[in-house]
Amino acid sequence: MKRSATAALLVTASLIAGCSGPGGGGTAGGASTTLNIATMTLPQSLDPKDANGSALPFFQAVYDTLIKREPDGTYSPMLATEWKYDDGLTELSLTLRGDVKFDDGTPFDAEAVKANLERFRKGGGAQAKTLNDVKSIEVADPTHVTLVLSKPNPAMLYYLSDAAGLMANPKDFAQDDTLKTRPGGTGPYELDQGRTVIGTKWVFTRTARYWGARLPYDTIAISYFDNETAIVNGIKTGQLDAALIQDADQQISVESDPKVKTVKQEFDFQGVFLFDRAGAVTPELRDPRVRQALNYAIDRRTMLAKIRQGRGAVTSQVFGPATAAYKPELDTYYGFDQAKARALLKEAGHESGFTLKLPRIPAIVSDALAASLQSDLGAVGVKLVWDDLDPGSAVQRIFRDRAYSAMVMNMGQSSADWVAVGEVVLPGAFNMFGYTDDTVKKLLPRIQGSAAQDAKADLQALNEHLVADGWFMPFYRMTYLHVSDGSVTIKPQDGMAVPAIYNYAPAQ
Amino acid sequence: MAAFVVRRIAAGALLVLVISFLSYTLLSIPGLDVGRQLLGQSASQDLVDAKNAALGLDRPVLVQYLDWLAHAVRGDLGTSWFTSENVVRAIANRLPVTISLMAGVTLVTAVLAFLLGVWAGVRRGAVDRFVQVFSVIGYALPNFLVTLVLVLVFAVHLRWFPAIGYVGIGESFSGWLSTVLLPVLSLSVGSVAGVAQQVRSSVIEVLRQDYVRTLRARGLPPSRIVLRHVLRNASAPALAVLGMQFVGLLGGAVLVEQIFGLPGIGSMTVTYTTRGDIPIIMALVMLTVIGVIAVNLVVDILIGWLNPKARIA
Repeated sequence: MKRSATAALLVTASLIAGCSGPGGGGTAGGASTTLNIATMTLPQSLDPKDANGSALPFFQAVYDTLIKREPDGTYSPMLATEWKYDDGLTELSLTLRGDVKFDDGTPFDAEAVKANLERFRKGGGAQAKTLNDVKSIEVADPTHVTLVLSKPNPAMLYYLSDAAGLMANPKDFAQDDTLKTRPGGTGPYELDQGRTVIGTKWVFTRTARYWGARLPYDTIAISYFDNETAIVNGIKTGQLDAALIQDADQQISVESDPKVKTVKQEFDFQGVFLFDRAGAVTPELRDPRVRQALNYAIDRRTMLAKIRQGRGAVTSQVFGPATAAYKPELDTYYGFDQAKARALLKEAGHESGFTLKLPRIPAIVSDALAASLQSDLGAVGVKLVWDDLDPGSAVQRIFRDRAYSAMVMNMGQSSADWVAVGEVVLPGAFNMFGYTDDTVKKLLPRIQGSAAQDAKADLQALNEHLVADGWFMPFYRMTYLHVSDGSVTIKPQDGMAVPAIYNYAPAQ
Repeated sequence: MAAFVVRRIAAGALLVLVISFLSYTLLSIPGLDVGRQLLGQSASQDLVDAKNAALGLDRPVLVQYLDWLAHAVRGDLGTSWFTSENVVRAIANRLPVTISLMAGVTLVTAVLAFLLGVWAGVRRGAVDRFVQVFSVIGYALPNFLVTLVLVLVFAVHLRWFPAIGYVGIGESFSGWLSTVLLPVLSLSVGSVAGVAQQVRSSVIEVLRQDYVRTLRARGLPPSRIVLRHVLRNASAPALAVLGMQFVGLLGGAVLVEQIFGLPGIGSMTVTYTTRGDIPIIMALVMLTVIGVIAVNLVVDILIGWLNPKARIA
């Protein structure tokens, strides 16, 4: 009796194990029809006006952008087939496809573009500011529309290939909340409401009548996870097909599996943003020599080796390698030279050092990083004090109260120079004290008012100035790993941490 | 008994109201800038202020709370600030996952812990020592370690079970069983250890009592004494512990759901609490409080049924 019970148990167990197996994506041998992507980003909604950063793939499945951004950062036609600036660079004319319809049969036309751009600009979303320079939108005929800008904006094509360029069906604008959970665009997929659990898993199925090139997958499923351990296990067992892994330890863990395919990409850099260059909070920072001394004081190579296990590249500049402003030699501009740091501090009249108080958000500043910075700066006489903050009150203290003169940040490096300039140089969230100087004032209008290819020299001059004047204290660019279970080939997307949905294909 | 149940339910309702007010006030600490979290660090302050106003966060906390309460009593718990999903639907989608885990662990614990506890209490000697050692180890082992070892061995290495994800019981029974088995096992280790100890000491205590000696003297078969009399009397304290374990499981479920990538209430609580998504967190708090009250009530009724002496008039 006992023996038969045990046997029955064993049979049941093996049955369960047998039928379940690792389910999901890659069917061995045959063509895979479902792409299972893991993400750690929750989209605020599927309404394009809420589109932002790493959530873009959710939107790309359902909406097309006016302009397509290729993996290498170049632009190619999508809903707009041609675009052209006038000589003053303040009028951008777009020619639109005439054969595109929204899911419900409504034709896509210039009026739809106007309605979308105007709604995006006033919609209160995180990226609404990208259309700040758009003064008006003029419709000539159903396939021709012109964006009139208040001043030249070299990043406009980038924005139209990003969140601002996502085109939704204007019929859905009347009820304000419809698009949040029931998106309607002209894109290659539709949200499968029945199989989607918002907040957990979004399933997109192919639209049969899509106007454009067929993407290789019939279904794209994007699943949310709040930690990389589960993602790595899912990749190793083939339950997930593709993901981005940021943590160095998890990268090492996933690389140890021979079936797993990986592609490296440097995207975010980590460093201290020295906001207070006018010395409002910390007067010592007013002197460029002090900012330079801080840069000489830190041992970037050791930091990279210990904190990122060598996964990345040291740098002293905030512009990424894909930009025109980037100069390879600026990566090593500040060597590790504490004697020089002490000399600069002495020259600036701060021989006895000073105290620098920085906010510490544990998710960004690990214990190792906190200790390393503290000891490096301490060695040249700068007393670094960490203010431990929870993420909620941190944003309040940093951005609203402007209580700190600097902070450690991780930041994506856009491939579009003017996007990078807008984020770190122009007055705004990351230049919260609105600091500028004569060199910057001289260079910015020249960069803004010339075509991208003509601005290279000025951009590089700007970059050199920012490095030499110690506007920032960058540590290193971090290597991120795009991983797949072996069934997918992933092309990293220039200017984005996560690949665009067009960048996945079945492995050969 | 009926009056007792009614009294308990009324007290429970009052408790729910008080806790909802306290939670709302605590969640609305001024530092939690929801607009900024929604729009990201690079958004301008004007935009952030406008977002906060659109969410009604510029109003006094009491007004916000009363507004929430007025909607909640009508069954409208609002939509998530961070994902725009309907709160009721969001929780309904994730509840089956956590209930599967909790029911599974409670079942495993009830069966195994009672078997082990009675075995140890009745047999004593080597068996008792074995159960004691098992209990101490089971209780002391960190939950995350047990979970990680189970995942790495049985899912990633042997591939007997899926490493992540959940299949609904309605979708496929075997799929459901295969996705919840490892998480249930990892949660059960500590739970079984705790309850088995309690059962063991209760059994030993009951066995020492006079009426057991009398029953033995009357020549009743030992199995009948244990099953009919001892177990019934020893169950009450063990049930109380089992009830507490059930409530405490929610904490353990957080970690297990994260490691197994299960879309349950536990991982949901962490994700939305760190963001300050008040509509979702309030619903989760209410669910937990009501759950705790209900479990305690059921345990009390069960104990009363098992042990007439414990019955409350």
